[in-house]
Amino acid sequence: MDKSMLGDLDNLPEEDKIRMSSMIDQLQIRDSLRMYNSLVERCFNDCVDNFKHKSLQKQEETCVQRCAEKFLKHSMRVGMRFAELNQGAATQD
Amino acid sequence: MAANNNPPSGLDKEQIFGMAEKEMEYRVELFNKLTHTCFNKCVEKRYKESELNMGENSCIDRCVSKYWQVTNLIGQLLGSGRPPM
Repeated sequence: MDKSMLGDLDNLPEEDKIRMSSMIDQLQIRDSLRMYNSLVERCFNDCVDNFKHKSLQKQEETCVQRCAEKFLKHSMRVGMRFAELNQGAATQD
Repeated sequence: MAANNNPPSGLDKEQIFGMAEKEMEYRVELFNKLTHTCFNKCVEKRYKESELNMGENSCIDRCVSKYWQVTNLIGQLLGSGRPPM
């Protein structure tokens, strides 16, 4: 979600554009915070099973890093495909 | 939107903004659910590396495409006005 959605709203009076823009900002902030929490939960669930130690082990830390990177890359790819579909682009099977 | 020169009444405008906000929230939620669902279906949890391999990439593309088709199908079913069985 980004301000490119505002391209459709060029015909609105300025005050309405500002209001829509601020609405999008708020949604973006809320979405980022939600993504943060859900990513932590996911990588914790997938990578941490053992509570013999209070500190994260090296293996767990590596796992969490990979988990987070992988999910973010995945999320970017989904975003690209989603945008294509929204524009009605046909894709190969 | 209005064909005449009268500005929309205060109530109409609020309703329109309300609907626009709901629409945007819906899209965000759709994207988030789509992302989580396809990650669960396509990416192995062992995290051997931080890159997505070719198989995962293909799976993701197809998963997004199918999820989108299901979204449209359900949308049609709900929109047709028929009561669900």
